[in-house]
Formats: sequence, C-alpha cells, structure tokens
Amino acid sequence: MQNIFYNDMQFSVKPRGERWDITYSLPNGSSAIAGAGLFAGLPESEAGARALALIKTIFPVGIKTVGPDVTHPNTIGDLKIIGPDVTHPNFIYWNKDSVSCPREL
Amino acid sequence: MEIKGSVALVTGGGNGIGEAVVKHLAKHGAKVAVVDMVQKNIDRVVKDIKEMGGEAVGIQANVTSEADTARYIKGTIEAFGQLNIAVSCAGIIRDGMMLTLDKETGKVSRKLGLDKWQAVLDTNLTGTFLTMRDAAEAMVNGGWEGLLVPISSVNKIGQVGQINYSSAKVADALMPKIIVGEFLMRGIRNIRCVAIAPGYTATPMLTGMNQEALKAILEDVHLGRLVAPEEIASLIGHCIENQALNATTIEITGGLCYPKGIAK
Repeated sequence: MQNIFYNDMQFSVKPRGERWDITYSLPNGSSAIAGAGLFAGLPESEAGARALALIKTIFPVGIKTVGPDVTHPNTIGDLKIIGPDVTHPNFIYWNKDSVSCPREL
Repeated sequence: MEIKGSVALVTGGGNGIGEAVVKHLAKHGAKVAVVDMVQKNIDRVVKDIKEMGGEAVGIQANVTSEADTARYIKGTIEAFGQLNIAVSCAGIIRDGMMLTLDKETGKVSRKLGLDKWQAVLDTNLTGTFLTMRDAAEAMVNGGWEGLLVPISSVNKIGQVGQINYSSAKVADALMPKIIVGEFLMRGIRNIRCVAIAPGYTATPMLTGMNQEALKAILEDVHLGRLVAPEEIASLIGHCIENQALNATTIEITGGLCYPKGIAK
C-alpha cells in the first residue's frame, strides 16, 4: 500500500488482487473511492506513479475566479454591457448597505 | 465494437439513467469513468462497481465547464489509456410556462426567468456538446474506435411547460446527423454517433413526483409502466455492438401515445 499526500488530501493506493484501488480521506473523516480495479498487473512503484498522475488530473490545484458574465453581454450598438453573472450560485443580491463599509451620503 | 475491454465515460453517471448505463457497461466488461456533480453518488456507484469486480474511476465535475470537461476526458485516459464510448446523461429540468397571466387582469404577471432557460440550456445542450466534442477529439487523436451517445428525450417534439428542456433536447437529437456528416467529410470512419431519446423513465426524479400525475402519464404509455433505466442501458449496449446503428436518434418510450391512441 502507498500513501500519497497531495494538495492537503490523503490518498491511499491499495492492492486488490492484481489491481489497485485509490481511496482518499474526506474532511468529515470518512473515505471516498477515486478509482477501483485500476492498473492491472502493474508493480507497486509503477501503480503509485500512475495513481499520482491520475490524482493530479482529477484534483487539479488552482484558483477558480468568478467574474462578470462575459458570455451573455447586452449590446447597444457597438457597446457591450457586461453584467454580473446572476445565475452563479455565489452571486448575492445586496439590498442593504454593508455594515463594515457603509455608504457615505 | 465489443463492450468488453472498451473504455466508457458517462456524465450524470451518479444516478438515474447514467448509473444504469455505467453498471451495465461495467457488468459486460467495460472500464468506466463515472462523472457527476455529486460526490456521494459517485462514491456509491464506484463502490458498487468495485464490488462487482469491475474497473471504475470517479470524477466530480460540472459538464457546463470547458475546463472540467477537459479534466474528466484527460482523467479517463490517464486511468485506462483510451476512450471509446461517451454517454452524456447529465441533465436537469427547470419547468415553467413562458408566460404566466394574472387571473384577474389577464395581463402577464410572470415570465420564465433567464436563469431557468440558461441553466437548462447550459447543462442539457452545452454540456452535451462539450462532452461530445472533447471525447471525439480524444478518439480521433488517439486513433481509437468510438461511439458518441447524446441523450435526448421524447419531449424533443415540444412539451408545454418545458420550452427550455424541449429546445435543448431537440438540438441534442440533431447531433448524430451533423457529427457523423462532418466525420464523413473529414474521413473519420471509426467513430459513430447515436442519440437516445427516452420516454418517461423510472428515475428518482420521476418516481418522486406526484403519484396522481404519474398515473395520468402512464395511461398514455402502451407498455403500462415507466421505462426502466436498465432498459435504456441495454439499448446503449446494443448500439455499441451494432455497427450499422449510426447517425440517428432512437426513441425508447414503451409506446408513448397522445390521448386517443396516436403514438408520439
């Protein structure tokens, strides 16, 4: 069995017969299966390398930014009006002033 | 193409029709990638396949994202070395009439929101396009034999209350004609495309609906019951094995009829 620590996540590559299973720990303490029955016949070192490559593909490290909705601009003549992406789940309609930064009248 | 030894990717593979497709293909010897938005559904399906002795990889992703699509295509190839079958089961509904009138004034009181329109088009049409496009790219570049399976719906004929869903599904149903025509023009002969248009199917979404409404729907189904997800999975299995099936959309409805017995 091999343990791989990657991007703050703990993965285990365990043999099952001639194949390999990849499991990982979830924040709540339980475990999830990333793959089952993979890399048939490969030795442990090779299976570990293949598992790491797969993990890096499935769980990439990066920052996802949520910007304005550039896909659906409204146009007035040649002018593109780009509004916020109101369909995004993180979009919040503010109907009152911020407490920490109140509007100055 | 034989199912045994092939590699399949199924979006929406965590429940409903997608889960049945994944399990059918795994049972018949395919290596499968289970792509879904819900991690606990992925875990359940991958665990089931593991217990069947099959080979599976689970990838949490959003099919409307181009970056996620590239990630699950690459992940599948990373795990199994090739890709032969892509089935786009991921789909959502956000039903509503285009206009709602005020009963007293007769004026429009509400319009179908752009959010409901866009979300359904993004998942059911753009998501399908991205999966078909990137799977085809991988198959062509890898030189692998392949089958692309967009999932349409019998409601492609136009269902009231589903202007968003029906619009997306009729477009999905057109894909095989266009994709295979373009493959012919480009000299790509080893990849086929067959869409499936299911009727009312016993998925969690439908079995959880109002039972009276469900009973009324079943009165118009010649089969007298909902189509089982496993029956759709079995049809997809047949499409994989029968090379003559190509550039078409196959309906599987149990004999869905309009009232008074005209088959839809």
